[in-house]
Amino acid sequence: MIRTLGLALAAAMGLLGVSTASAQPTIRVGWTIPAEESKYWMMRRPDQFPELGKSYKVEWVQFQGTAPMVQAMAAGALDCSTQGVLSMAQGAIQANLQTYIVAQHVGEKPGSFSVYWAVKDDSPIKTVADMKGRSVGINVFGSGIYGPMALLLKRHGVDAEKDIKLVETGFPASEDAIRGGRVDVGVLNQPFAARAEAKGGLRKLFSLSDQQQNIVHIMDVCRKDFVDRNPELARRYVRDLTAGMAKALANRDETLKVVSEVTKAPIQVLDTYLLKPNDFAREPGAKPNFEGIQAMLDIYAETGMLSKKLDATAFRHPTIVAPLE
Amino acid sequence: MTRPVSALAAVIAAAGLLAAWELAAWLAGIDGFPPASRALAQIPRILTDGEALLDIAASVQRMAVGFVLGVAAAVPIGLTMGRSRHVAAFFNPLLMMIYPVPKAALMPIIMLWLGVGDASKTLVIFLGVTLPVIYHSYQGSRAVEQKMLWSAAAMGMGGLSRLVRIVLPAALPEILVGCRTGLVLALITMVTSEMIARQAGLGNILFNALDMAQYDTVYAMIVIVGVLGFVLDAAFERLRARLVAWAAPSHAIIAGTT
Repeated sequence: MIRTLGLALAAAMGLLGVSTASAQPTIRVGWTIPAEESKYWMMRRPDQFPELGKSYKVEWVQFQGTAPMVQAMAAGALDCSTQGVLSMAQGAIQANLQTYIVAQHVGEKPGSFSVYWAVKDDSPIKTVADMKGRSVGINVFGSGIYGPMALLLKRHGVDAEKDIKLVETGFPASEDAIRGGRVDVGVLNQPFAARAEAKGGLRKLFSLSDQQQNIVHIMDVCRKDFVDRNPELARRYVRDLTAGMAKALANRDETLKVVSEVTKAPIQVLDTYLLKPNDFAREPGAKPNFEGIQAMLDIYAETGMLSKKLDATAFRHPTIVAPLE
Repeated sequence: MTRPVSALAAVIAAAGLLAAWELAAWLAGIDGFPPASRALAQIPRILTDGEALLDIAASVQRMAVGFVLGVAAAVPIGLTMGRSRHVAAFFNPLLMMIYPVPKAALMPIIMLWLGVGDASKTLVIFLGVTLPVIYHSYQGSRAVEQKMLWSAAAMGMGGLSRLVRIVLPAALPEILVGCRTGLVLALITMVTSEMIARQAGLGNILFNALDMAQYDTVYAMIVIVGVLGFVLDAAFERLRARLVAWAAPSHAIIAGTT
């Protein structure tokens, strides 16, 4: 009954002119915030991209996190979207979602920001081993950062499944959770880490880079069937992702404005970290780091977050991958 | 209660709430709970931002479409259920099953059918609206005196005519109570339908601000949604009073406007 109602509703919406049909080749892209500057440039400064809006169109849909984008891609409602390595791999294993990694948004490199866990300055927790029996914050249960964290804890004799109480705090509320005592150890990500550091009173305990370098956080992936059917359209999109990343890195002042327009965060807040040394690393040309991706796939398999090992090269198209000029 | 007195009571309640909020926020001293003065200061910025207004308008448009379609579908079903035991027996189990399901929880499934655009969000609003309207239409229809319908039938009036010309007007006060509840639920589902995926809508402001820990904006948007609900409810109540002035409100809610 609900499905029939839905179809009737879709027809009604069409009659009401709510949908916008177009003959221009259109690519449906899922996105989220933060840290997708190349896409934000495409959204907010389309005139800077010679083909965007002229020879093809992007239908942007914002999502709350990467997991629902896997569902939407599996259902054929999206052609491309932002994905973490774990969500992409889980989509491949559980929903048989076949994708190509076409670009990379942000990751970690030696010297760049690395996601870290912090405690209050006066906390008795001085080392990772002291975390036994404590409550530890995580952004989302089963998130991509859990695997490296669990391995790091294991190296220090702490079993992430038995020895700590994991608490889902989300990134935005993590600082408050630490200061308010809801968790003993909380996870910090940008831009929240910059804000917490400016206020003081917190101490870094460990970061993901202590376990592993070159972590890949978010990438852009496209459905294989879509790319194989529309190679030229996908190529144009990836070319613009490449150009978008170049523009973001070349013109920080404008990027601050663009990101502020998208996220609604004041420029002063973004200016504390965005594209500074305390920010994540961005590959010039949005080139995916397939070695880093493979390392993460291996960690996820080792920690049981993936039921089997996956080969990162299986997600690589021979030609449609950033950087594309 | 007279109008000036009830209006004064509403103002005192609102002022008390704001004062409690301000005090609690200062005592808590955490970013996630900004004081009322800081949150309310964001409202002029939001309401003078053209893009934000377009986002709010997009949400309200979806809500209006969902509400109108919901009422249009629910009233005939409810009226018919009230007058036919067989129809009631058919729909009741379905409604009992759908009623407790949080409509926003259906969003991921609906997205698979209808995609991530307006249709899926409007369907969630539609589902939120239909149940209270069906229930109240059903109750209103059941309460119509059987003698009136017998008299009409004796005068040669057909089944459909009786439903439209006797049952509908007689049940209208109860139907409008359902519509009032439906309107509030439309507003709630309008916001929750944008939690997972969105293109345009007030979720762009609310959930983005939440993701970026811009809590003053988050609370400002909550206030804006609350005021929007208050205004819509007050406007609907005025309309209801005009349409069924002959019937005393069966569920009067004193909110400074009634």
